[in-house]
Amino acid sequence: MSTSRVDVGDRLERHGATPARESTPSARAFVLEVSDLSVHYGVDANMVRAVHDVTLNVRRSTVLGVAGESGSGKSTLVYALTRLLRAPGVISGGQAILNVSSPDDPTQVTPVNLTTASERELRRVRWSHVSIVLQSALNALNPVRRIGREFDEVLRTHRRSLSRSDRRRRAAELLALVGLEPDRLDRFPHELSGGQRQRTMIALALALDPELVVMDEPTTALDVVTQREIITELAELRSRFGFAMIFITHDLSLLVELADEIVVMYAGSIVERANAGELYAAPRHPYTLGLLESFPPLHGERRELTGIAGSPPDLAAESVGCSFAPRCPFAMDRCRAESPPLAPLGDTGRSVACWLHTEHSVVPVPAPLARRWTVPSGPAAPGVSR
Amino acid sequence: MMTDVVAPVARLSARGLTRHFTTRVPGRILAAKRVTRAVEDVSLDLVAGRVTAVVGESGSGKSVLARMLARIVTPTSGELFLEGNAIALRARRTLDYAAQVQLVLQDPFASMNPVHPVRHSLERPLLIHGAHKAEVDELARSVLARVALDPPDRFLDRYPHELSGGQLQRVSIARALCVQPSVLLADEPISMLDVSVRLGILNLLKGLADHERLAILYITHDIASARYLADETIVMYAGQVVERSPGTVLIDEPAHPYTQLLIASVPDPSGAARVDRGAGESRPFVRAEEGCAFALRCPHATSRCRHECPPAFVIGEGHVSRCWLHADQAPASSDLATPGRQREGEATKT
Ligand SMILES: Nc1ncnc2c1ncn2[C@@H]1O[C@H](COP(=O)(O)OP(=O)(O)OP(=O)(O)O)[C@@H](O)[C@H]1O
Ligand SMILES: Nc1ncnc2c1ncn2[C@@H]1O[C@H](COP(=O)(O)OP(=O)(O)OP(=O)(O)O)[C@@H](O)[C@H]1O
Ligand code: SF4
Ligand code: SF4
Ligand SMILES: [Mg+2]
Ligand SMILES: [Mg+2]
Repeated sequence: MSTSRVDVGDRLERHGATPARESTPSARAFVLEVSDLSVHYGVDANMVRAVHDVTLNVRRSTVLGVAGESGSGKSTLVYALTRLLRAPGVISGGQAILNVSSPDDPTQVTPVNLTTASERELRRVRWSHVSIVLQSALNALNPVRRIGREFDEVLRTHRRSLSRSDRRRRAAELLALVGLEPDRLDRFPHELSGGQRQRTMIALALALDPELVVMDEPTTALDVVTQREIITELAELRSRFGFAMIFITHDLSLLVELADEIVVMYAGSIVERANAGELYAAPRHPYTLGLLESFPPLHGERRELTGIAGSPPDLAAESVGCSFAPRCPFAMDRCRAESPPLAPLGDTGRSVACWLHTEHSVVPVPAPLARRWTVPSGPAAPGVSR
Repeated sequence: MMTDVVAPVARLSARGLTRHFTTRVPGRILAAKRVTRAVEDVSLDLVAGRVTAVVGESGSGKSVLARMLARIVTPTSGELFLEGNAIALRARRTLDYAAQVQLVLQDPFASMNPVHPVRHSLERPLLIHGAHKAEVDELARSVLARVALDPPDRFLDRYPHELSGGQLQRVSIARALCVQPSVLLADEPISMLDVSVRLGILNLLKGLADHERLAILYITHDIASARYLADETIVMYAGQVVERSPGTVLIDEPAHPYTQLLIASVPDPSGAARVDRGAGESRPFVRAEEGCAFALRCPHATSRCRHECPPAFVIGEGHVSRCWLHADQAPASSDLATPGRQREGEATKT
């Protein structure tokens, strides 16, 4: 409805943001635009810099994968940009703009600054425009409430026109989308398996047909067969409803299959960003290479793998230079003195934060980080070898 | 064949290991009893210097099997042999058995006592197993070095919360090793750990088998990690062994439809050799009441499958599949020879 759009715009004006009278091309192309977002936990000496100057865009109807080892700041990033961050977490800089499109006219887009939005605005966009499946989703359902009540609540607050029986019917439809029988609505969470609970959370996230769904490790606690089923379902749902997705996992091989574009995080920063197939076939950052080599392959010669030596840095300590330097097999003097910025890699459309790839680097790029890569036919066609 | 001259002696053997659980299902009128066949008729040999991998999805009975082998859970039926000697399963677990067969669990945070430093976790089992007070410090240091926690001084006096997950899992492996076991049972030792440290633990286990001749049981639902380590691979479904093979034959050439499903489910960025995905159209873990346990999910199921439980068929050297699709092959007469009884004339039948 156009009235509500004006409403959001008015409020944004008070916050100093400019509402788009006419949607800019970038607002139409990207559902989410995050720039220089930084988050820290706590203060003073114990301050943990969990997310540092993160900039990323999520193109409409595509999947952005976020990879990185434990503690790299993946969850903190999505908590911050959906404003679910709790104390002692603080957004210390940057912004996240959600480009909300009008249900009547998808070319009409209103930017909502999530970092400054009021609770009321947030309530308006959560569920309806952006929804999130949290990492702890397996325990996110209220144990003493039947599944049906969770759905009823979301539908009742956001779809006032629906009658009780309409809501029940809609809930059953949503469960059917993720392959669950309607009788599950009368069950308690503990009566469902882990996979069924995770499916329920996904159905709930899709209840109001959002433009962006954020999933934080939705399948990590599940076994591979269940994971495969859920991933397949998600892909189908996405092609049907056209929502964009941010998918977080430490399983880079899963992301390569699922995502269009991938960002790799290390110690709170993005160290590499590329098209999924390209990232897999031709990684440019030493950390990405290490992550890819941490998964034993299912095919080919059995050979010893070493993974990544050492452990991630203490984010509470002030660091100088590249945060990966202590573990990097290619580290140079410069790496220990200066921190490399995330910079475009020639005209490839990808970016990397590593001194090896700067134009004026005197050191030749090591062979594993200089693999050739040819453009595949599709936008994200994994499986391009060499 | 009787010429088992070089046949390695199994450190720990299981024959027909079975465990059923009876649970009460509260009904509207009467409480019904339900029997969960958690593990059914599993036989295996854990051999010095070799890694036996057991793969299966959640609920397939892997942990119950490991706990029976560790003698924490009493089998409903079946036999265990340690170094060829039959174990009296009704009797209490002896201290010697506990020292010989050690279990490492999935969650290192839950399995270490948070109020004690690492030193305590290592020295206590040493003292229980009869080490002298004077030597425990030295022994604790040497065992930390074996799991590559160097220098030991940096770790002995730390508390569990001061260690990373990977370091803590090394400590729990060290604790298992300090009593000099000959068999190590590792129940999903890497599934709770971060990607970057998983390989370190896998390489550690491999080293213990290769260089220290431990017999290792490696339990996982990640078939790719099994492929990385295994000298023998066993696939379990609903408590049964559905396929087994030497090395990783069954991963490279899966014969059983369930193994094919497992492999097709693994994220595979290279997209190579994708197996029939039809098998993936399944719903929650289900077990047919009669016939083949996998029949309700199997894309190849026939009416025979739904009524008759398939026996194991030999489809290659040491490669066995429990599936009617292989009915044209010879049935595996009895899985494995009974250890310790050969002298009494019961030689291997295969
Ligand atoms: N409430 C908190 N107080 C202090 N530090 C925190 C808090 N929550 C998270 N951190 C720290 O922030 C960093 C990033 O944590 P985050 O949970 O975002 O990582 P992650 O990439 O999601 O890891 P995982 O893969 O384990 O989920 C870590 O170093 C973590 O220890
Ligand atoms: N003490 C018990 N009482 C009743 N049933 C049990 C008990 N322990 C295990 N079971 C059942 O036995 C079956 C096998 O469980 P088990 O824990 O061995 O599975 P698993 O293969 O280790 O699974 P996961 O990968 O989730 O660890 C399950 O159906 C489980 O519910
Ligand atoms: S900047 Fe230097 S230390 Fe950092 S990843 Fe690149 S080569 Fe390694
Ligand atoms: S016996 Fe039948 S149902 Fe069972 S796995 Fe083989 S083909 Fe499938
Ligand atoms: Mg997280
Ligand atoms: Mg288990």
